[in-house]
Amino acid sequence: MTVTTPAPNPARFIRADGPDKVTGSGRYTADLTLTGMLAAKFKYAGIAHGRITRLDTTAAKAIPGVFAVLTQADVPNVRFGPFVQDRTLFADGVVRFEAEIVAAVAAVDAATAQRAVDAIVVEYELLPVVNDPETALAADAPLVHTDWASYGASGALVRERNDASFSSIAKGDVERGMAEAAVVVRSRYDADGCHAAPIEPRAIVAQWEGDKVTIWTSTQVPYDARAGVCETLELPANRVRIIVPHLGGGFGGKCGFHFEAHIAALAKAARRPVRLLFSRREEFLAPDKRRESICYDFETGVSSDGRIVARRVTLVLDNGAYTADAGFFSQLGAMHALGPYRIPNLLAEAHLAYTNHQPSGSVRAPTAPQTCWALESHTDEVARAIGMDPVAFRQLNAVDTGLEGPTGQIYGEIGVQECIERAARMAGYGQQLPDDEAIGVAIGWWPSFAVPSGAYVKIDGDGSAQIITGAQECGTGSVMTLPQLAADELGMSAADFQLVYQDTSVAPYDMGATGSQTLFNNGRAVIAAAAQIAQQLRALAADHLEADPADIVLADGQAFVAGTPGRAVPIATLAGIAAGGELLIGHGSGMPPGPPPISGSTCVGDAGMAAWVAPQFSCHAVRVKLDRDTGVARIMHVAAAHDSGTIINPLGAEGQVQGGVLMGIGQALTEGTGYDNEAHQRTAGLLDYKLQTCADAPPIDIHFVQINTPNAGPRGAKGLAEAPNVATAAAIANAIAQLVGAPVRQLPMTAERVWDTLQEVAQNTIGGAA
Amino acid sequence: MSFTIARTVEDALAAIAAGARPIAGGTDLVVGARHGKAALPADLVAIDRIAGLDDITAGSAGLTLGANASHHAIEHHPVVAGSYSALADGSALVGSPATRHVGTIGGNVMNASPAMDTGAGLVVLGAEVELRSLHGTRRVPISELWSGPGRTIAQPEELCVAVHLPQPAANSGSAYLRLEYRRAMEIAVVGAAANVTLAADGTVAAVQVALSAVGPTIVSVMGLDTLVGSSVADAAEAAAAAASAQATPISDVRASDRYRRHTVGVMARRAVETAARRAAGETIAIPVNRTLGIGAAS
Amino acid sequence: MSESIILSVNGMQYPVTIDQGRNLLSVIRGEVGLTGTKEGCDDCECGACMVLLDGQPVNSCSYLALQAQGREITTVEGVLNGDAMHPLQRNLLEAGGVQCGFCTPGMIMSATALLQRTPAPTEEEVRVGLSGNLCRCTGYTKIVEAVQRTAAELQGS
Repeated sequence: MTVTTPAPNPARFIRADGPDKVTGSGRYTADLTLTGMLAAKFKYAGIAHGRITRLDTTAAKAIPGVFAVLTQADVPNVRFGPFVQDRTLFADGVVRFEAEIVAAVAAVDAATAQRAVDAIVVEYELLPVVNDPETALAADAPLVHTDWASYGASGALVRERNDASFSSIAKGDVERGMAEAAVVVRSRYDADGCHAAPIEPRAIVAQWEGDKVTIWTSTQVPYDARAGVCETLELPANRVRIIVPHLGGGFGGKCGFHFEAHIAALAKAARRPVRLLFSRREEFLAPDKRRESICYDFETGVSSDGRIVARRVTLVLDNGAYTADAGFFSQLGAMHALGPYRIPNLLAEAHLAYTNHQPSGSVRAPTAPQTCWALESHTDEVARAIGMDPVAFRQLNAVDTGLEGPTGQIYGEIGVQECIERAARMAGYGQQLPDDEAIGVAIGWWPSFAVPSGAYVKIDGDGSAQIITGAQECGTGSVMTLPQLAADELGMSAADFQLVYQDTSVAPYDMGATGSQTLFNNGRAVIAAAAQIAQQLRALAADHLEADPADIVLADGQAFVAGTPGRAVPIATLAGIAAGGELLIGHGSGMPPGPPPISGSTCVGDAGMAAWVAPQFSCHAVRVKLDRDTGVARIMHVAAAHDSGTIINPLGAEGQVQGGVLMGIGQALTEGTGYDNEAHQRTAGLLDYKLQTCADAPPIDIHFVQINTPNAGPRGAKGLAEAPNVATAAAIANAIAQLVGAPVRQLPMTAERVWDTLQEVAQNTIGGAA
Repeated sequence: MSFTIARTVEDALAAIAAGARPIAGGTDLVVGARHGKAALPADLVAIDRIAGLDDITAGSAGLTLGANASHHAIEHHPVVAGSYSALADGSALVGSPATRHVGTIGGNVMNASPAMDTGAGLVVLGAEVELRSLHGTRRVPISELWSGPGRTIAQPEELCVAVHLPQPAANSGSAYLRLEYRRAMEIAVVGAAANVTLAADGTVAAVQVALSAVGPTIVSVMGLDTLVGSSVADAAEAAAAAASAQATPISDVRASDRYRRHTVGVMARRAVETAARRAAGETIAIPVNRTLGIGAAS
Repeated sequence: MSESIILSVNGMQYPVTIDQGRNLLSVIRGEVGLTGTKEGCDDCECGACMVLLDGQPVNSCSYLALQAQGREITTVEGVLNGDAMHPLQRNLLEAGGVQCGFCTPGMIMSATALLQRTPAPTEEEVRVGLSGNLCRCTGYTKIVEAVQRTAAELQGS
């Protein structure tokens, strides 16, 4: 049954890494210094597409203080990539985006390294720039990768020329559905790309000792980074150690394998430790992680009573120059374009188009905020077309408990309908507003990712405990919540546990701070590991108290016999006993929940995204005020209702929603990556790529619809970190559309784009009157 | 290469005559150097410790801002806020709180950015810049100071030591507004300042309007003399039209020329309206942007 | 050309020899050896490098180190009351205003300057006072709460 709590209990949760962070004593990667350490700098292409006709590093190598200059000729000839092996560490004869790395330098200091970079001679034969994903799909478009057909790739991908991943989802008979619809609404939307923009620019330090390398790096995915180093430098996993000091935010931008191998190779060649520090500009241009731009053509048919009877949608996603983790984005984008709606007849087709842009990759809820923006803008158009209130339209058509989603997944207990009701109520939907204000509503969804994950737990002889986990803390506090899970299992307090984390040579595997999966999967691992120790403790206590192990209860730091609290022994005493015999060591992983069944739909290019484990739902309702003279919108209030299952850490959960919402506001209004005609980014700095400031942030009311979800994470929890970023921009769009009189069809909805739409509406009104 | 700390204006002038560049807060110089705009000058003379050079002096003759007066000090100075509001509106919008502490009016004026937030206010308030060298002192009307983006008519050996503003007319008020996409940490997309004097009957007795970020330098809107005697509403509309007509904006990553031309008119209209309200005695807190929510309505 | 100067950081005197063009941030992090102050953008846009100079907030990335001689520099490491956390630090933790923590030192310095200047700030004053410090994690809500709680606490004491 649904358990709804009015407000999270404000427990005084103090995150374990907090004192480090507020006192300045916590070390981030850029804070590390090793004796003899050199500075690394990259030589970037500077052009978007060209064949290297000359590459001469002689002058660079001759500069005093330069220890190593590397190009592709100096590293193993390995083509890599998680979905398509289309990439090499350094440009291999052709550069395909402006920040492709042509060479790397290690020198005594950053200034010398930069001089050496400037002394590297590269000449290019310019190749035609593929600057637009849609035209990239044309049969006669220049190829970004002429050898695409020979690349290794995941077997599920459907590839053709510049289309790196085609995916479709079909159900029912979309033609007949459209023919039977009372009204068919067609819409076109274009979303620009945008950036994760963590405040910490990435940093990497690499040091070799013998044939082993230690790499300190600001990654969200240490095991993935290790795998990339091993693959590209041809090393076994046990000779590469990845350590992540405190991580200064990621938001997906620090997922994937990036530059760790470059720095390791430099350190090996230079025989010295080497450190890379990115500038803000590099942080914008170089990582293969830009939120993908997508363009959408929607067509939705509704019956006269307001039910969706058919949807056809085509998406073209910008893959950029190389296929990073975007290989599954076409199917994921298609799922978001169908949305959490009941649709009997549908066809979604998505293409992932190579361009000469920075590679796309998983930025917080990849494909979701922009697709939700497009879909939910379209949904309001549909509701308007049949004269229905947009909230009522969603209540009528959204998925619900026991009902079937677009791919034929039948949902267990879910809270989407309650999210709609709660968000609308918190926003005061329906209230009388001034002429320049409106409330927009949007619903969103996001999967939980069930994957393997591991942890150890141990209790030492003095009764103090440690969790040694593969999980990665990127700021969300997920890792910081693990001690509570172990403590509850063992009848101890969270403060009894110290965390050891972010070191691949110490802890078992975890996928990393990605996919909102940390607590979902590693929580299961920690509980499993703690349960092993609990069993040991019960046996020890049973021995000590002369009772049956089944009767031993662990609570308040003690083991006692059920029903007779007087017969008790402190866990610390048992730990002391264990220290002389079988040690208290637990290891855990547990089986991830399996994928739910689907039926009735057909997927081409299936990347496993058609069925979602423990899907999360949200509804955001946003009140917007619009200055119609200038097109500038201001967000006055946000109401965010979320079904992310059981909330384990209320303070942390609120922080995720507040941060995700503000990121969504930025995506809605001020964050967008534009390209010039030569495919250079135009907004690669924080003055022109505008994050929301403290002065912009609106009040945000939050409600968690808490459902103890089966087949999910610990205690019925789902993921949470990405979901709050999904529906905000969409809700803002629907408020702006009301105020403008038409939707703004480009994201971000910059003031100028809003103003342009206002002008179009005015012209059409005049035209219509004439 | 040298770095000297001047204790007096004379020290500074001597160092400048020997080829040093003056540096107060240094933000523009240091950021500019790192972004490759211009290398950090080899010889620098720090002028931020010259006693009295940050004084703000208000008297019957008007207002004198020492070149080192910070934007923070200007924003919070009661006389500036009350009688020279357009300047305070501008200073209060510069960069971040830190930038406003470090940044000085002298540096701002001599940096000559057409998007500067204090420039339009200084123009409508009739400011003069005091330039001093070892050879003497001269005063230059502020609108004659700027010769292009980042360029002034000052000689290399001259140091800006003060900015002077005449006593405002009775029954006058001023305001500066800018178009911004977020409420802080912005650079003006466009901006407009107005200085309005009201006649006893509430009609306009005098009006000046100047614009930022729509030309190579701050643009003084011409031809507003004809508005004397008109209502504030009419004057505001006419000023908006004149502003849009006289602006020569560029298209860049922040806005198209078309959008700038339109919105600078909106800013001009609102600047005239706000200045008139202040002229009529209404208190509208500094900065207008945040009080009235210009652009991003509050 | 290098110059030898003395910088006073958190009450300690540090003799340093530095090139003229060095920014204060790199000297604090390098020669002085305090890495709590962060570099996030290098052009005054993010505020991670915020320090106090004679009590006033300064983006140390864009301030010449030579200009700081003779002035008192305060970094996040200087905010502690001995070994005890400043109420602002404690309130940031209790309110949940810290996530990745990279903006936190700069945020603390801006908030410290704000509370010195304006001991009982309105919410709008807090928001404007912190507007030069970008945070990507929190949406600022809990940071603003922490600053307001601190103001109330310090006012009450």
